[in-house]
Amino acid sequence: MIVLYFDPGLGAMLVQALIAAAASVIVFSKNVKAKIQNFFSNKKGKKPHQDSININEDESKF
Amino acid sequence: MRMRASSDSFRNNHSSSFRDPSGYVFVDNNVLKRAVLPKYFTQYNALKASGFYKKVIKHSLLIPHNESKTTKDSIELIPEEIPFITYPYEWSFSQLKDAALHTLKLQKYAVRNGFILKDATAFNIAFHRGNPIFIDTLSFDFYTPDSPWKAFKMFVQHFLSPLVLAHYHGPTILKLLQTHIDGIPLSLTTSLLPRKSKLNPTILTNIHLLAKAERKYKNQTDKKTKEIKVKKERHLNHLDALYSFIQGLNVNQQTEWGNYYENIHYDDTALDFKKNQISEWISYLNVKTIVDIGGNDGTMVRSFSHDLDLAIVGDIDENAVDLNYQKIKEQKGGNIIPFLLDILQPTPALGFDNKERFSIIDRLNQCKPDLTLALALIHHISLSGNVPFLKIAEFFARFSNDLIIEFPNRDDKMVQLLLDQKRDFKNHFDFYSEDNFEKDFGVFFEIKKRVAIPKSNRILYQMEII
Repeated sequence: MIVLYFDPGLGAMLVQALIAAAASVIVFSKNVKAKIQNFFSNKKGKKPHQDSININEDESKF
Repeated sequence: MRMRASSDSFRNNHSSSFRDPSGYVFVDNNVLKRAVLPKYFTQYNALKASGFYKKVIKHSLLIPHNESKTTKDSIELIPEEIPFITYPYEWSFSQLKDAALHTLKLQKYAVRNGFILKDATAFNIAFHRGNPIFIDTLSFDFYTPDSPWKAFKMFVQHFLSPLVLAHYHGPTILKLLQTHIDGIPLSLTTSLLPRKSKLNPTILTNIHLLAKAERKYKNQTDKKTKEIKVKKERHLNHLDALYSFIQGLNVNQQTEWGNYYENIHYDDTALDFKKNQISEWISYLNVKTIVDIGGNDGTMVRSFSHDLDLAIVGDIDENAVDLNYQKIKEQKGGNIIPFLLDILQPTPALGFDNKERFSIIDRLNQCKPDLTLALALIHHISLSGNVPFLKIAEFFARFSNDLIIEFPNRDDKMVQLLLDQKRDFKNHFDFYSEDNFEKDFGVFFEIKKRVAIPKSNRILYQMEII
């Protein structure tokens, strides 16, 4: 672990822990909602948006 | 008595590279190189051996590099050359937004692969071939399980805060990044945000609450940040939440020239004539790189950009620059670089010793484009900015050998409007004529071609520096 050249902020770390926990609840509830909707609409789940945060490992850009 | 340099490693480095002790950037025989210092060897070797560098380069997340030399004191890398660097305070809203999303994407990918981004400054992103790309190869560190993202506050100050501020106040507020090169302070952001912003859970927690906590714990350096844990899954969920919030952010404001070509009643014949004439001159002069000053949304440049290697297009209007960027993304116009440029107030040099971030003039001088293009611009500089022709000519003679410039005469509607707005001061601008324009520009340039644009009161000049 390299020593940081700036102060990350103690407050920022504490708040991050809180938000990350809250974000997980939101993501979890969104997933449950999506699953219920999918169940009733009997449709396949949406394909991930083209501009997504997730990198598709199969997508070769060489 | 003069002090000796405390470390040889800092003797040759690039003036903007000194903050991170992991390494530095330097110029060797006109080639930009990066030195990795021994204290970063463990990280560098792990990033290389694990295939992480290869993967992030493959996914167009990080600028490619080649290792050119290895000694016990440093490892030398040569990154792929980026022909022209623009700074965050020269970006439009969508550019800053895409840079933010790119940073989050890279951080998530890094965490999943056992690494983290140890910093999150907007200066680590450049626009290359039409897309944002991360340029600091040494910004990664090992991910310690359940540790928080230490660059989170930096990310908020450099990206989230300016984007949210622009959402409420319009894109002009992004210029705050010019006076705050370490990102907009949280206290300033919260004081500028409207009260209703607290109703948004993302803004409330990631900005308002963050600012409050930072204020509260500002002087508490005894408590170790190591004690704070954020589970990996939660960490990733936080990144997802930030990503989707930023993705949905927009800015809506009418600016000076947005949709210029739709709003003005520029005769189609005149516009086509202009495009064809410039295109002809460009191929005759064999121009490969140009800077278009006042290039609006890049419409003109786009009509002949296929013949160019690089077109740097600056404009004063945020919407025009944004539109240009959107078109570059849609049409994969990778050789066009859009940026904000106010010619009466060009980007200054900033940071320590005024050498950390270069002025736009320095960067253009360094780049030396073959041609400077200045269309529908001189009347604004001369009449709105009161700048004499001679000074304008001197300025345009700075960067390129060739100049293509449009001169609207006194019968032009826009010139008349600008003159009328001068009211009692109008007589001061009696000098505004073709003769005086040619005489003053003749001091620096040889006028090679002079063509009147049909159905307009404008003349197109092709000039060469003396």
